[in-house]
Amino acid sequence: MSTTLTPTLSQLETPAAKAQAIRCVDCDVHQSVGLGQFREYMPQPFKRMAESGCAPGHLGLYNPIGVTRPDTIEADGKPAASKPDGLARMLLEPYGIDVALLTGGVYGFSSHPDPDYAAAVCSAYNTYMIEHWLPKDPRFRLAINVATQDPLLAAQEIERVGAHPGVSAVVISSATQHPLGQRTYHPMYAAAEKMGLPFCLHPGHEGTGITNAPTAAGYPTRYLEWHTGISCTFQAHLVSMVCEGVFQKFPELKIVLVEGGISWLAPLLWRFDKNWKALRSTVPWLTRPPSETIQGRVFMTTQPIEEPPEHGQLKQLFEMFDAEKMLLYSSDFPHWDGDTPDYVVRGFSETFKRRVLAENAIELFGL
Amino acid sequence: MTAVSAPTRTKHEVAKAADLPPGARKIVKAGRFQIGVFNVNGQYRAVLNICPHELAPVCKGPVRGTMLPSKVGEYTWGCDGEILSCPWHGWEFNLHDGKSLHDPKCHLKTFEVLVEEGTVFVLV
Ligand code: FES
Repeated sequence: MSTTLTPTLSQLETPAAKAQAIRCVDCDVHQSVGLGQFREYMPQPFKRMAESGCAPGHLGLYNPIGVTRPDTIEADGKPAASKPDGLARMLLEPYGIDVALLTGGVYGFSSHPDPDYAAAVCSAYNTYMIEHWLPKDPRFRLAINVATQDPLLAAQEIERVGAHPGVSAVVISSATQHPLGQRTYHPMYAAAEKMGLPFCLHPGHEGTGITNAPTAAGYPTRYLEWHTGISCTFQAHLVSMVCEGVFQKFPELKIVLVEGGISWLAPLLWRFDKNWKALRSTVPWLTRPPSETIQGRVFMTTQPIEEPPEHGQLKQLFEMFDAEKMLLYSSDFPHWDGDTPDYVVRGFSETFKRRVLAENAIELFGL
Repeated sequence: MTAVSAPTRTKHEVAKAADLPPGARKIVKAGRFQIGVFNVNGQYRAVLNICPHELAPVCKGPVRGTMLPSKVGEYTWGCDGEILSCPWHGWEFNLHDGKSLHDPKCHLKTFEVLVEEGTVFVLV
């Protein structure tokens, strides 16, 4: 019989005890898993498609740094993030991360023209992650990946695997065919709400495959423009979700905007609230201003944290909305634009640090 | 007037010069510092292995050239083998003076390098 000296997280009853045990939750960790690893879980003809390497293309934009940090490629030539122990060694241990939400993954298959293939890829990936990664490290939690071409298939997948105790969230690509508030997407939200899973939007595939152009103005020339413009897609999705009544129709649903920027939120809400006062009658289900509608319902991950010329300006910005309750630390490991936990919270109050590094995520994901 | 004596620096052996040819680098521990020593096209340069941004081990990044400031639509490659790019967010630093290419106030800490009888030393 083995005895455990440290209590498991579920044994710690009070939120304060949990927060002490969990110092830092990383809400966006990209373990790398290839099609070849999980195609065995796919039925035909999708298995054959996966064998042929069938995958959505990319825009061909050039990032001279490379998307994966070069110092995370290990001596054997493999990325550290492709191995559970590599992640633990390069990320969890050095930075004191007690829970890592594994976002992956294959959500980019939402850009693929074939909805059945995209759904099969996500499904096989989710099963593979549950069987092969979650058991490897008690710090891992899974954000299951679903594809958005067919929201009914996405909803089925959320219900299929959503109850697994290691599954803490759903993640989709923010690159879509329509603004995400529209009713075609509601079955996914209904399923996430039913399973008690926060619903995350993650960028990276804007403008690829069958998705919309990466900016409202069209296709930019460079990665620099594309990456800077990602926030605009998030703004459009958030405005759509509020106006289409997603937060009324699904009163328990929580939305997490991952890697979409933070500093735009306050001015967007000012404009949005002002417009709502005049145009409220076009969205009569919105009985409170947008800024209040999203309170406690929308969360944002911190990476890539904005860097104004004076650090004090970031603090001012964070006073303009409920940053302390809305922000969730994320590293985006092993990508080139990641942040370390101490860098993100430097200069902020102890309360802010605790909330952003751990407590908000503990409450949101029910850790 | 009291003379203030210059702080004494210590010599730390890095490598045999023959083992550090142009393009090569070595990261060494010298006193309390970790320092990257680079052979930049025949000249030795040493910088602290901490990026001023998020404190990454900057000396593990690639060394290459870069695009020089130019007119709109023109591209001029230069500084071949002189630019260290941080492995995290890609900030570029000129190894000759440690200065970043995006802000003259942002730079790597540099150290003096000596070569004596075929051995490379860094002064700390
Ligand atoms: S840590 Fe070096 S560029 Fe950010």
